[in-house]
Amino acid sequence: MTTISRRQLLRNAGLLGTSAVLADRFRGVAHADKPISFSGWVFKPDTVKDYVNFYNQKFTGQVQYESIPWAQYHPTMETRALAGEVVDVMYCNHNNRERWFENGLIRSLDDLPGVDELKKKMTPANLDSLKNKDGTKLLGLPYFTSLFVLIYNEPMLQQAGIKGPAKSWDELVEHCTKLKRDKLSDTPFLPNWNNSPSGTMPQFMTDCFSEGAQVFDAKNRVIVGQEPGAAKAMERWQKVYKAELVNPEVLTKTSSTDTHRLFWTGRYAYHTNHSYYLKTIAGEPENSKLAPKKAKMAMYPGTGHTYMWTDSYTVNAKTKVLDDAWKFTRFLGGNLNGDWYVQRQWCLISGLDNPYPEMYDHPEIIQSYDRWIDLKLLREQYKKGKVIAAYKGPWYGEYDTKAVAVVHNIIRARRRFPRA
Amino acid sequence: MAVARTIPSAVQGTSPRDGLRLSEGWFALCLVLPTLLGIFVIVVFPLLYSLWLSFTDVNLLRTTGPALELFGVRVPLFRFVGLQNYAKIFDDPLYWSSLGRTLYFVGAFVVEATLVGMGMALVLHERFAGRPLVRSLLLIPWSLSRVVVGLLWIGILDFEFGALNGILARLGLIDGSIAFFKHGFSALNVLVAVYMWNQAPFATLLFLAAMQSISLDLYSAAEVDGAGYWQRFRYVTLPAMRPIVFLVLVLATVNGFLMLDLIYVLTMGGPAHDTTTISWLGFQTTFAFFKFGPGTAILYTLTALCLVLTVIYHRLILARFEPEG
Repeated sequence: MTTISRRQLLRNAGLLGTSAVLADRFRGVAHADKPISFSGWVFKPDTVKDYVNFYNQKFTGQVQYESIPWAQYHPTMETRALAGEVVDVMYCNHNNRERWFENGLIRSLDDLPGVDELKKKMTPANLDSLKNKDGTKLLGLPYFTSLFVLIYNEPMLQQAGIKGPAKSWDELVEHCTKLKRDKLSDTPFLPNWNNSPSGTMPQFMTDCFSEGAQVFDAKNRVIVGQEPGAAKAMERWQKVYKAELVNPEVLTKTSSTDTHRLFWTGRYAYHTNHSYYLKTIAGEPENSKLAPKKAKMAMYPGTGHTYMWTDSYTVNAKTKVLDDAWKFTRFLGGNLNGDWYVQRQWCLISGLDNPYPEMYDHPEIIQSYDRWIDLKLLREQYKKGKVIAAYKGPWYGEYDTKAVAVVHNIIRARRRFPRA
Repeated sequence: MAVARTIPSAVQGTSPRDGLRLSEGWFALCLVLPTLLGIFVIVVFPLLYSLWLSFTDVNLLRTTGPALELFGVRVPLFRFVGLQNYAKIFDDPLYWSSLGRTLYFVGAFVVEATLVGMGMALVLHERFAGRPLVRSLLLIPWSLSRVVVGLLWIGILDFEFGALNGILARLGLIDGSIAFFKHGFSALNVLVAVYMWNQAPFATLLFLAAMQSISLDLYSAAEVDGAGYWQRFRYVTLPAMRPIVFLVLVLATVNGFLMLDLIYVLTMGGPAHDTTTISWLGFQTTFAFFKFGPGTAILYTLTALCLVLTVIYHRLILARFEPEG
């Protein structure tokens, strides 16, 4: 029998321990990503933290996440860039993407591995939306996409003896007039005319599209004044406002979120807003009187076309950890995990859609959507989603904000619709 | 003396006493220098820099032009464009209409906050049961964040679920709901009233402190002369409070001009531009359109207005005021 002295035992144990510690450290050096900074505007920051933690654990990442209030988000990121700070991965809304790219804050993603596969999986309209002005470079991966939908209050329509949702604008106005006359609703129609960038102007474009009108031409010049469909939409808006079919205070609501919450009360018959808001209206009984599924989506009247946009994750042009930043961006806006992890989470938790159609075949997604929306109809509506390219122009932000006042004055009949 | 030897000859006096006095001056300067430096870095430099920005074409993402190097920090100076930013904003009809609304807002707010503040101070100056409690409660509106104030008043005034409409409807005083934010002018007046509710307690606090510092002998003498309540107020209280009235007017005016957060929470400048004031226009121009040059130019016109009004108040209220003693 071999005997081991106490000294040998201690020496061997020490060697074993040291090698274990060193092995662990070397494994860490070999596999852990470099630290990445990641910033986004405040929307469910706890959800974001959860998937950042998931990424850090599963992919041995070192992502540091920070959320910034929406109103200050883009100016804050620019101020930080001015101060020389490099935030590796950033949210960027569609209105600011081109400017950030042209001024060298973000880089194009086309030369990065795996991007072509993601491009193939995206719907073409969304892909166009994520490209730069001349359509040659991809500037971001999708955070989410959305479009305007028509939502109706089924119990209220039934109470009024109306058999189904309006299929045309004339029918919708007729329904609302009847509901007001029958005193079933003081203001049956709730369009998203709020004062924020996500309200009046996207709603205006949506209704123009639904009347077959264009707002911008191929060179992104404003041509809406020449479009009879746009004039028709504006006449309708004036009519419903004058007839007091609309909550007059919707013009001073400060967000689309605030606006959609009015529909929770069950006092309105029709509402037009971003598709994901139907999730809280029809899927959250603790908040909404129209849940579960008493509020439903109908195909948008007229041509059925509605305004669609795509917000994104972008990569800083000056990042020193490009490989790791891109890997994390693919996790967020692509399919690094093999199961569309982040995109799927947003679908399940908030009803935020994405431009990858194959994801909507997943049983978990189908089951989840079934609790608040007709998924097939939503996918049909997405086929009619229209993107614009005008927001890629440097003038768009100011135009978009200042035009709100013009449209509000047209609605209130203080100004005529400008015909060319 | 070791200290005296280290002092440069130019600042030394002729006698040891003079030398000590001057060295004390230098010593004092050394003590305040860090504070002065702090004030320069935190107040003076940003002020001068933002004034400079109002004469430049700013693009935060393009900083390749001229720059200052301060303690190793590169401060971009951007392209100088002279008075172009000012010319642009003065050429914009929206600026002038916003200025009109701003002047209305500030005027109405200053009058309301001063009168209500004074009225509440007069009440709280009297003795009555529960006065300490009322004085404490009075400060609650002022201590609330303005975002919270805005949300609170949405809860009260909202067309759909506002408490006020609910109460009026239950009392049978209205049929349907009142839309307080439907018309621009009524929305602007709601903003004035809400801001007054938030700020008047501070005016009350200042007025009350001033009232308590007035000698009771003056009131006794006035009473002996047969002065009634209002005469005592007119001839004793008001004249003694001139510096505080001046302070309240200046503070209310500056606060009124700068008010932004309530607009953000309650109306976002709408409907249309009906509640757009200069501060909101400056905020939008700077942070929504990313036009930092014109944005700072807009906001510097507010600064100029505040300065002019402060001088006017000073002339009107304090010019002939002689403090007691």
